[in-house]
Amino acid sequence: MSTSVEAKRGAAPAPKPAKPRLSDRARAERRLGLWLAGPAFIIMLAVTAYPILLALWDSLFKYRLTAPDDRAFIGLGNYGVILTDSVFWRDLGVTLLITVITVAVELVLGFALALVMNSALKAVRGWLRTAILVPYGIITVVSAFAWFYAFDINSGYINHWFDWVPGISPDLNWFADGPTALFVIIASEIWKTTPFISLLLLAGLAQVPGELTEAAEVDGATWWQRMGRVILPNMKAAIMVAVLFRALDAFRIFDNVYIMTNGAYGTEVLSLLAYRTSISRLEIGMGSAISVLLFLCVIIICFIAIKLFKVDLTGARGGN
Amino acid sequence: MKSSPVRRRVTWTIISIVVIVYALFPVASILATSFKIPSDLTSGTFLPNTWSTTNYEEILVGDAQDLFLSALRNSIGISLIATFVAVVLATLCAYAIARLDFPGKKLILTTALGVSIFPVISIVTPLFNLWRNIGLYDTWLGLIIPYLSLTLPISIWTLAAFFRQIPWELEQAAQVDGATTWQAFRKAIVPLAAPGVFTTAIIAFFIAWNDFVYGISLTSTDAARPVPAALAFFTGASQFEEPTGAISAAAIIVTIPVVVLVLAFQRQIVSGLTQGAVKG
Amino acid sequence: MPMDARHYGRPRKRARAAAGIALAIGATLLTGCSSEEGPPTLTWYINPDDGGQATIAQICTDQADGAYTIETSLLPSDAGAQREQLARRLAAGDDTMDIMSLDPPFVPELAEPGYLAPVPEDVAERTTQNVVEGALTGATWKDKVVAVPFWANTQILWYRKSVAEAAGLDMSQPVTWQQLIDAAAGQGKFLGVQGARAESMTVWVNALVESAGGAIVENPDAPADEIRLGLESEAGTQAAEIVSAIGKEGLGGPGLPTQTENTSMIQFQGDQGSFMVNYPFVWPATNAAVEAGTLPAGLIEDIGWTLYPQVNAGEDTAPPLGGINLGVGADSKHQDLSYQAIECIVSPENQSLYFTTNGNPPANTDAYNAPGISDTFPMAETIRESLELSKPRPQTPYYNEVSTGIQQTWTPPSAVDPATTPATSSEFILAVLKGEKLL
Repeated sequence: MSTSVEAKRGAAPAPKPAKPRLSDRARAERRLGLWLAGPAFIIMLAVTAYPILLALWDSLFKYRLTAPDDRAFIGLGNYGVILTDSVFWRDLGVTLLITVITVAVELVLGFALALVMNSALKAVRGWLRTAILVPYGIITVVSAFAWFYAFDINSGYINHWFDWVPGISPDLNWFADGPTALFVIIASEIWKTTPFISLLLLAGLAQVPGELTEAAEVDGATWWQRMGRVILPNMKAAIMVAVLFRALDAFRIFDNVYIMTNGAYGTEVLSLLAYRTSISRLEIGMGSAISVLLFLCVIIICFIAIKLFKVDLTGARGGN
Repeated sequence: MKSSPVRRRVTWTIISIVVIVYALFPVASILATSFKIPSDLTSGTFLPNTWSTTNYEEILVGDAQDLFLSALRNSIGISLIATFVAVVLATLCAYAIARLDFPGKKLILTTALGVSIFPVISIVTPLFNLWRNIGLYDTWLGLIIPYLSLTLPISIWTLAAFFRQIPWELEQAAQVDGATTWQAFRKAIVPLAAPGVFTTAIIAFFIAWNDFVYGISLTSTDAARPVPAALAFFTGASQFEEPTGAISAAAIIVTIPVVVLVLAFQRQIVSGLTQGAVKG
Repeated sequence: MPMDARHYGRPRKRARAAAGIALAIGATLLTGCSSEEGPPTLTWYINPDDGGQATIAQICTDQADGAYTIETSLLPSDAGAQREQLARRLAAGDDTMDIMSLDPPFVPELAEPGYLAPVPEDVAERTTQNVVEGALTGATWKDKVVAVPFWANTQILWYRKSVAEAAGLDMSQPVTWQQLIDAAAGQGKFLGVQGARAESMTVWVNALVESAGGAIVENPDAPADEIRLGLESEAGTQAAEIVSAIGKEGLGGPGLPTQTENTSMIQFQGDQGSFMVNYPFVWPATNAAVEAGTLPAGLIEDIGWTLYPQVNAGEDTAPPLGGINLGVGADSKHQDLSYQAIECIVSPENQSLYFTTNGNPPANTDAYNAPGISDTFPMAETIRESLELSKPRPQTPYYNEVSTGIQQTWTPPSAVDPATTPATSSEFILAVLKGEKLL
C-alpha cells in the first residue's frame, strides 16, 4: 500500500487517458465513478457542511429558544462575549490539558500494547487481541459509569483498596476537586481509547522492514538501541497520524465529563460548554457561536499538525 | 539476551495477565456493581455482599422495562440501519475510488477525513433546529442521518484501503473466460471483498452503538431514544434515590453485543483497523 | 451483509403492516362506521416515579368511561433535563403535549412565551381550593393560574434522637441552624445538607435566604436585563454564613461538595448522622433498608422529625418547596379533555393514593385527612405544616440562569465567603442575564 492513488490507478485495466479528449470508455467510467461515489460524498457534506453553515448564521443572533420574539441580529457580539470571558479560556485550558495528558499517556501505553500484540506468542495472541478490543468496542458512557462508581466516595471501593497510598483515604472525595476529578476522567478516557491508538501503532510496527531490525540485532545493538535507532524512526509517520487523530478526538471529549461531574469544580470542557449553552440554556445564538469556535479550534490543531509536523493525513483515516 | 523457552513462557503469561486485567477490570467492576442490592452499594467493597439479580429484573421485566427495552430496540435498530446504509454507500464509493478513474477522488477522501474529525457538538445545535422544523426530531431517521456522518468516513477509508489490495486481475481473467461483467464481479470479486466489508460493518456498528451526544440531543421520548441516552432516565425507588444498580445492569447488557462481536471477530477487526490505517 | 439486510427488512415490513392497518381504518371510516375510531388518547409526560402516575392515569382512564385514554411518556430523572425536553418539544410546536408534569420553578419560562394553554377559570377555581399557598404560587405566573398543583414536596428536619438528646436540644421547639451546627460540631457528627453543584444547592440557598426574610430575585416577572437580585443583603449574608460554616468546618462530611439528597440520607443513616434537611422519601427508603437488613433495626426508633430549621431564632422558617404542577401544551389538540383529565388526576383521593404509594405529599390539604396516611407517613402532619410555611424558588422565566449561577458561585460550600460570595454571585448572574457572560 505504499503506492499513492495515482500509481495504483496505473495498475487498473483502463489505460490512463490523455487529458484533452476523453475516450467514450473513459467518459463512461468517469460518470460511473461519480455516480458511485456521489451519494456518500453528498451525505457527508449535507450532514456536516449545512449544519455548520447554519450554526455560523445563528451565531450572529441573540436568540433564545423560549423567547423567539426577542431574536435580534447582533453581528459578532456573541463572539465578543465568549472570547472575553474567562470561562471560555478556562474550558479551553482544561480541554487542552486533557488532550495533552491523554495523548501522551496513550502513546506510551498504546505502544507497549502494540509491541505486546506484535510479538506475543501465537497461543495468547487471540486472547490479548480480544481483551484489548473490549475497551475499544465498549460504550464510552458505560466506561464513564464504571470508573465513576469505582471512585465515588459512596459507592466506590478504590478509596478502601488504596488507602495505604499517601493522600488516599476513605474520606477522599475524588469528584469534589478539579485535579482529582480530572484524574478519573482522564483515566477513563485513556482506558477506553488506548486500544485505538495501539492498533494504529501496530499497523506502523508491521511496516518496519524486518531486515533492518535483524541487521541491527546482528550488529549487536541492544533492544533499546534498536527501538530508538531503527523502529521508532521508521514508524514516525504512523506515530504522527495516531497522535493527531487521538488529539482531535480527545479535544472533543464530552461523554466522560458529562457523566462524572457535568463540568463541576473546574472540569468543564469546551464541548460541554457548547452543549450546556445551546441545549440546556436553549441560548441558540450563543451556543452556535461556541460550536463555531470549537470547530475553528479543531481546524487550527489540524493545520498546525499538517504544517508544522508534516503529518500526511490523506494517508490515514479516523476512528470513533 | 536469548531467553529460555520456559522463561519466555512465564514472561508472556505475566504480560498477558496484566493486559487482560487492564482491559477487563472496569467491565468486571460494573458487572459486580450490577449484582448489588441498593443498600449494598455503599458498602465500599468490590464484590456484592449478597448477590442479587433484582437490577436485571428491574430493567428487563420490572418498572424500568418500558424505558430500557424500547431504548434497546431503538439502539439496535438505529445502529444496524445506520451501519447498513453506511457500508453500502461506502462500498460503492470505495470501489469507485479504488478502481475507477474520475476527478475528485482526493476531494472525497479529504472530505471524509474532515468529517471524521468534525466536533459532533458543533452540529448538534443546528441539526436540532433543522430537525424540529422538518419533523425529524425524535425519530429513527433523525438519528440515522447524523450517525452516517460518524460511520461513513471510517467506512470509506477502511474499504478504499481494502479494495486497493484486491487483485482485480481476477475479474479480467473471469471476463476473458466468457463471464459477463456482473458475473465476473460476483464470482471473482465479491468473495474477496466480503471480509473487508464485514469488518467495516463491525467497526461502523461500534461507532453508531457508542453515540451519546446525538442520542441525548435529538430525541425526547422512547420513540427513538437509544440506550446510552436512556441511562440518564433511570431512577431509584423515588426521584431522589440514585439508580446505580439499574444503570450498571443496563450497561452490562449493552456491553454483551460488543463482547460477542469482539470474541468472534477479533482477528478481522484488528486487521480492518490496521489495514490502511497508515499510508506507506 | 445478510445479517444487516435481515434486520433492515423488519422495519419495512412493519411499515407495510402499518400502512395496511391505516387502509383498513380508512375503509371503515368511509363506510360510516365512525364508532370504530375510539376515544382520543392524551399523552401525559411524567417525571420518573415509583409507578404512581401510571396508576393514576389508568384510574382516570377508567373513570372517563371512554371519553379519553391517558398514556404516560417518561421524562428524564433530572429536573433540569425534564425542562429541556419539554421546552424543546413545546418550542417545536409538538401537538402531543397534552398533559405535562412540571417542576414549579420552570413554569414561568414555559408560560411566558405562551407555551401553556390557559387554565379554564372554572377548572382553576375547583383545583386550587385548599391547595397550600406555596404550591399555588408555584403554579401562578403574572397573577394568573397557568398550571394545576398536583403534589407538593418540602424538606423537613430529620434528626437522630440520640444526638439531639446529647446536645440537650428540645426538638419540640423550633431549632436554628446555629444550634444544629454547634450540636454536630460538639459531637463530631455530620450535618446532612446538599452541597453538590446541582439544583439542590439552589434549593438550600433559597430556603436560607427566604428564612432570613429575603428573596433571591426581588422582581421575578421583570425582563432579563431589569431583574434585581436580593442576595446582597442581610439575608444573603446570613445564608452565606451558614453555608460557609458548614463547609469550612467540614460539618457536611467529606462528601459535601458532591452531596445530593440520596447521599446525604446515606450519611444520615450511618454512625456519624446527626441532623439532616431532606424530603420525605427518606422515610420509606430507610424503612426498606432496615427491612433488607443492611441497616440496624434500632435506627428507625432513633429517627425524629420536625420543621426545617430557622435562620433567626423566633422568625418563621421558609422550607423549600418542590413538587409537580400539571400543565397543558398550547398546541395540544385536546385541551378541554386534558383539563378534564387533570381534574381527575389531582382529586384529593388520587393525591392521597399517590402519597401513600409513592411518598409524594399532596398539594391539597384535604388529602392529608385520608385514612392510612399517618400509618405510612407518621410525619404527615409535619409535612403539611411545612408546606404551609414553604416558599417557592424564584418564579422567573430566567430561573435556569439564576439557579445555575447560584450553583456555580455557592459551591463548594467550603469556598463560600459571607463577605464576598453574595456580591460575586449577584454580579455573575446579572451579567449572564444581560448576555455579557457565559454560564
